[in-house]
Amino acid sequence: MGAFDFLMQGLATAAEPMMLLYALIGVTLGTAVGVLPGIGPALTVALLLPVTYRLDPAGSLIMFAGIYYGGMYGGSTTSILLNTPGESASIITALEGNKMARRGRGGPALATAAIGSFVAGLIATLLLAFLAPSIVQIALKMGPRENFALMVLAFVTVSAALGDSALRGLTSLFLGLALACVGIDQLTGQARLSFGVPELLDGIEVTTMAVAMFAVGEALAIAGTRVQADESVTAVKGSVWMSRKDWARSWKPWLRGTAIGFPIGAMPAGGAEIGTFLSYATEKKLSKHPEEFGNGAIEGVAGPEAANNASAAGTLVPLLTLGLPTSATAAIMLAGFQQFGLQPGPLLFATNPTLVWGLIASLLIANAMLLILNLPLIGLWVKLLTVPKPWLYAGILLFATLGTIGANPSSFELGMLLGFGVLGYVMRLFGYPIAPIVVGLILGPMAEQQLRRALSISQGDWTVLVQSPIAATLLALAALALIVPLILRARGKGQVLTQMAGDED
Amino acid sequence: MKHLVLASLFASAIALPAMADYTIIAPANPGGGWDQTARTMQQVMQEDGISPSAQVQNVPGAGGTIGLAQFSSQNKGNPDALIVGGYVMVGAILTNNSPVSLKDVTPIARLTGEYEAIVVPAASDIQDMAGLVAKLKENPGAVSWAGGSAGGTDHIAVGMIAKAAGVDPTKINYIAYSGGGEALAAILGNQVTAGVSSLGEFEAQVKAGTLRLLAVSAPERIEGVDAPTLKESGLDIDLQNWRMVAAAPGLSDEQKAKVTADIEKMAKSENWQKQLSDKGWMDTYLAGPEFDAQLEADVTATQAILKDIGLVK
Amino acid sequence: MSDFRPEPQRRPDWAALVIAVFLALVAGVMLWDSARLADLGGYSGVGPASVPRVVAYCLLGLAGWTALAAFRGDFPEREPQNPSPILWIVAGLAAQLMLLHIAGFSIATGILFAFTARAFGKRNLAMTLPIGIVFAFAVWVIFAKLLMLHLPPGPLEHLFFPGG
Repeated sequence: MGAFDFLMQGLATAAEPMMLLYALIGVTLGTAVGVLPGIGPALTVALLLPVTYRLDPAGSLIMFAGIYYGGMYGGSTTSILLNTPGESASIITALEGNKMARRGRGGPALATAAIGSFVAGLIATLLLAFLAPSIVQIALKMGPRENFALMVLAFVTVSAALGDSALRGLTSLFLGLALACVGIDQLTGQARLSFGVPELLDGIEVTTMAVAMFAVGEALAIAGTRVQADESVTAVKGSVWMSRKDWARSWKPWLRGTAIGFPIGAMPAGGAEIGTFLSYATEKKLSKHPEEFGNGAIEGVAGPEAANNASAAGTLVPLLTLGLPTSATAAIMLAGFQQFGLQPGPLLFATNPTLVWGLIASLLIANAMLLILNLPLIGLWVKLLTVPKPWLYAGILLFATLGTIGANPSSFELGMLLGFGVLGYVMRLFGYPIAPIVVGLILGPMAEQQLRRALSISQGDWTVLVQSPIAATLLALAALALIVPLILRARGKGQVLTQMAGDED
Repeated sequence: MKHLVLASLFASAIALPAMADYTIIAPANPGGGWDQTARTMQQVMQEDGISPSAQVQNVPGAGGTIGLAQFSSQNKGNPDALIVGGYVMVGAILTNNSPVSLKDVTPIARLTGEYEAIVVPAASDIQDMAGLVAKLKENPGAVSWAGGSAGGTDHIAVGMIAKAAGVDPTKINYIAYSGGGEALAAILGNQVTAGVSSLGEFEAQVKAGTLRLLAVSAPERIEGVDAPTLKESGLDIDLQNWRMVAAAPGLSDEQKAKVTADIEKMAKSENWQKQLSDKGWMDTYLAGPEFDAQLEADVTATQAILKDIGLVK
Repeated sequence: MSDFRPEPQRRPDWAALVIAVFLALVAGVMLWDSARLADLGGYSGVGPASVPRVVAYCLLGLAGWTALAAFRGDFPEREPQNPSPILWIVAGLAAQLMLLHIAGFSIATGILFAFTARAFGKRNLAMTLPIGIVFAFAVWVIFAKLLMLHLPPGPLEHLFFPGG
């Protein structure tokens, strides 16, 4: 039997009514847990995995796929509606998505996220099915120096999220980098900036920080605003559905997001959030409406959401072909597969085709089920915004702390949530953008470790960083992304000096 | 069917406990080895009625030392509290200067373990352990080793190899990766000279012929694994990355015996054995005074090697 | 939080100056900490102290830039703030933090719920507190009992689920 026959056979099994019901239960449970701020797909899958143990292999596989997709989509919903990203990969979604929701366009934002996730999931799963073995060979070429170059590119593109003031954007970014230094240095085991506090040894948890900065900081900022009586929430302005124009502006970002997210997910050191950063920067550069970015540009939701989902499927490439779990979610999925007697590794496609193709078929079905379940629910989700503010924010803080307590029930973690929440409020008050500090916390350690690994392997020879063609290309791209806008600006309006001095507005 | 699922969920959730009601602390994030061990224990204990509503609680951080510290301070004399731990904790306690050590809990039994494996990419010109050791002696910096985090079992194994080969352990070029997966990718991608990790991480690749297995850290050859031990290669090393379960400090002998009996019942059950073989874990069950002695020996040896590598002063 | 008013032009923005001092302090702490680290750069030449040092110097530069901007009044105008709702929310979070392991999830989180609602205008704690506790308890039952998430139980939880 060829690959195609296996896939068809898997789809036939997965399309049985009972299986569809399992998929539905999985997607529902996954979404329900995934919407909680601070509970990302990894924890969602870990929590719900035992539920799948009670079913037969085919059934548990499909429910598992449903939980996985549901968990990912759930995170985007709260990012868009409430500006409370539940995990690092949906931070970028919150940037534009929440602005859209505030202007009464939460419906289209949710729809473009859902459909974009579906499209990306579909394409990426098919790529996974038919190209995995060849993609993984390329992914393995990505050593520390190539990964470092990729991080440099990601850093440069983050400037897209720096906001309107170079000073405040950079300050936020560097505060994030400073926080990233806290904890045990992975390469030497030395404790940095932890002042003998054991809870700091593992560094600052990105989800705690993101939830604090976004959810708590947001609640404080809104509570503190004096002029709140006259600000009535417009839950829906225009249609809940995407207009023709929304479609026209969304489909290209979906495809580009998929193209960016999938390979990055397949790389051993990728991580879904990098794909979302790069996708956001790409969309901002290519957009015909760059002025809308920061005020609710639909491309800024469509691209990163697609990238996020595509990179999740990309993570399965090294997992299924090599048995390499490259993310926390993948590690938990590996545990899940073992439950079904599936030992991921180079021979998996050959020795266990029924289960592999069953899994791929399950992913396809769960992906479709997610769309079917969530599109009609968008109208309901948007209603969340009409909940009176006292109850809405009381609920947000309840669930934000629930997520933190559930992941790690320590008073210290809650203290950090409070501390960073206040920091997030002060930053908002003084016009500092929030995203860069979180991005710095995520990218800082990655870039540092990759650089030091590369130099360690080369025994201190810095020239290796540009000796590999992939690394050299990525660094050149980063340099271009940094220099070209500067030149354009210098030739255009001579704004470089104003830019350097601080404010643009 | 949906009813059934929900009903069984509910039943297991609210069934009133007739017996011990263990809370198992996994001092790590969900997904890792300790978390999986804890959750497998939970499942077996629930299904076999040893503890019908056993719970797992994750207390991640600092190689398990945060979980350990919290566990020992909050559960003194509590016979229903268990914590999962392992060899990595021994090293982490030393490198993190942890105020709490394994002496502050009541170790019950070693449950499972894995031996370390030393591999090179299939394309490497190194054919056996002797070849690798020769390169290491010639220029320690030119031999880059990929493995898990600094001070972990993999790092300790490399330190032991260098020491046994007569090379200064502070001179090893060890590249720490965040997890087995990332290290494996580096080895497969020919980024480093050699790789060290638990055998299970490499097994599939070795079978597929993409990695060459040079040696394992077991005291004698492992059945079904075609590789010499480090001892056979002239390096006197016996290193097992084990996982154990411990109870709270301050238990009476009676309470300790009860916990030990429950754990033994679990570890000897068919269900547990099936889980071990499904997951590819080795059964290295060891309890009582033998386990205490083994633990003591491991702590002493680890302290010595970490000092040699320069991670502990 | 005190009441910030937009400063007249050409006068130093004191709050922004405080930020500059804060950034310099962070940089100072990082430099002090990295000085104490053993240099274990090994073969890479870049040790554990290198990156914190670079970040610290950049933060120092940003502190200077911020001070400059403060003197030139470059910071955007701040909206006037109401301190009391902020304090209610902070108090709610602090109460939850302190009570979590004593009173259990439902009561601690119920207090947070009620305080937050108060910050947003629902002033009647006699009404919001019971609502919050009942809501938090329902959440606790779903997540701790059905989904096996570990949320610290307290007297209330033990009352309904003895032994749990």
